[in-house]
Amino acid sequence: MNRRVRSATDRWIRGLRAARRMEPRSIGRQIVTYAISLAVLLLAWEIASLVVNRSLPPPTGGIQHAKILPGPFEALSQLVKNAAELQRHFLSSAWRLLLAMLIALFTAVPIGLALGRERGLDRYLSPIVYITYPIPQVALILFFFVVFGTGSATKVAMVALVLFFQILVSARGAAKNIDEEHITSVLSAGASRWQVYRHVILPATLPDVLTSLRVSIGLGMAFLYIAETSAAFGKGLGGFIKDRMLFQREQAFAGIIAMAILGLGLYVAVDIVERIVCRWKHVRRRPS
Amino acid sequence: MIDVDGVTIEYGARDRRVRAVDGVTFRVGDGDSLALIGPSGCGKTTILFALAGLLPVAGGRLAIGGAEVRGPQRSVALILQNAGLLPWKTVWQNANLSLLLHGDYPKRTARDVLDELGLGTAARRYPAELSEGMKRRVGIARALSTSPAVMLMDEPLASLDTLTREKIQDLFLHLWREHRFSLVLVTHDIEEAAFLGRNVLVLTERPAQVKEIVPNPGMGERGYRETAAFRTVLGRLREALER
Repeated sequence: MNRRVRSATDRWIRGLRAARRMEPRSIGRQIVTYAISLAVLLLAWEIASLVVNRSLPPPTGGIQHAKILPGPFEALSQLVKNAAELQRHFLSSAWRLLLAMLIALFTAVPIGLALGRERGLDRYLSPIVYITYPIPQVALILFFFVVFGTGSATKVAMVALVLFFQILVSARGAAKNIDEEHITSVLSAGASRWQVYRHVILPATLPDVLTSLRVSIGLGMAFLYIAETSAAFGKGLGGFIKDRMLFQREQAFAGIIAMAILGLGLYVAVDIVERIVCRWKHVRRRPS
Repeated sequence: MIDVDGVTIEYGARDRRVRAVDGVTFRVGDGDSLALIGPSGCGKTTILFALAGLLPVAGGRLAIGGAEVRGPQRSVALILQNAGLLPWKTVWQNANLSLLLHGDYPKRTARDVLDELGLGTAARRYPAELSEGMKRRVGIARALSTSPAVMLMDEPLASLDTLTREKIQDLFLHLWREHRFSLVLVTHDIEEAAFLGRNVLVLTERPAQVKEIVPNPGMGERGYRETAAFRTVLGRLREALER
């Protein structure tokens, strides 16, 4: 095996081992924290449901009016009942979001890093970025439908565009704030421009980029919902929720729970990736 | 041989040039040492970075081993103020960075250097897990990994406590004798300059010019810090700085 490939593989294996070593204590603690938060959330939801539904008129002719806000246990029971259908919609939304995240990551990071480090490029391109950044991307949704049709491509492109700007701005800022001593250190050792990017700029900015990706998950979910409800053809949790919100509200809330699970899953996945590729951030620091 | 002849260095955009170094001349023989001292911001580090090939000169001649300096060279190592370690690389990767950048796989000698500096057991640790003294030793290990002919140091012991600083100064002296590289040290500490510089070059306020070169022939003698000659050199340096 090539020496470089072997060294990269070793690094990942060491990272995974370290992440696993961290698991028993920190994951145990996290599970307890999440369980308590979930219990508080379900309780608050149940109370809110009871309060909101008190305003409903009494049953007429033995028929119960649909609840304005279903309780958490009704939604959870619908989640179990409709598991097979929800799974199809869940996977469809999950791959759209994942694909959008990857497209945004692989386009925004190189551009953001180049803008942060190459002064000439930054002078001419940053004004374009800052003029287009505040435009609400949702305003472009009809344009996207015209260009990409009503299929998955529009939904992925919409979310990717939103995440692109978040990650770009964060990568550019992180690249600007790199400790110059690190750059001088590798330049004096004879590094080429490409090696400066590979050994300093990319690893130094990775924690900020991954934090921005994590923060963007919520935003990505919101835009995925908008895109999926605007063109509710085919599968996707957005369409599932929209179609059932009026007359099968318990099922709609089951869909909302599925969306929350999707967001949490991606959040945890990015967290694990960060612990592996930025292991140096999580070592026990020696006090000075 | 390091040959700096009437070197002028300027900063800034074309229409707003600022002169940082003005006609500085000095020589450092093979295996010799020179310390540069002067007021803060006078241009000491600028001269060192120009020697490392990181800054161009606007005038004069700057040569190492007879060849004009046009960029970083493998035979010239630079140790920075905070050791310049990359936090995301382990001790082993940091120590061998110069070799890896040139596509050379670390040899047995790299392991020997780490062992010599007492870092053998810390090879897989990250800089954040090390004490300040250990970080400086990793910086030294990196500099030694390419067996350089010239070692440039930019205030390498700043912000260390007195005992650790003296220990690492002794280590520098030992390595300088052992490896026979030419040493150029930038420091604001006159004791460090007198302990490690065979000659001490005192610079003026910016733009840096040579104010005086103080010879220090007793440098490197056993127990030099306690000798009268050391104190005399300190007195001359203080006087030159205050003048």
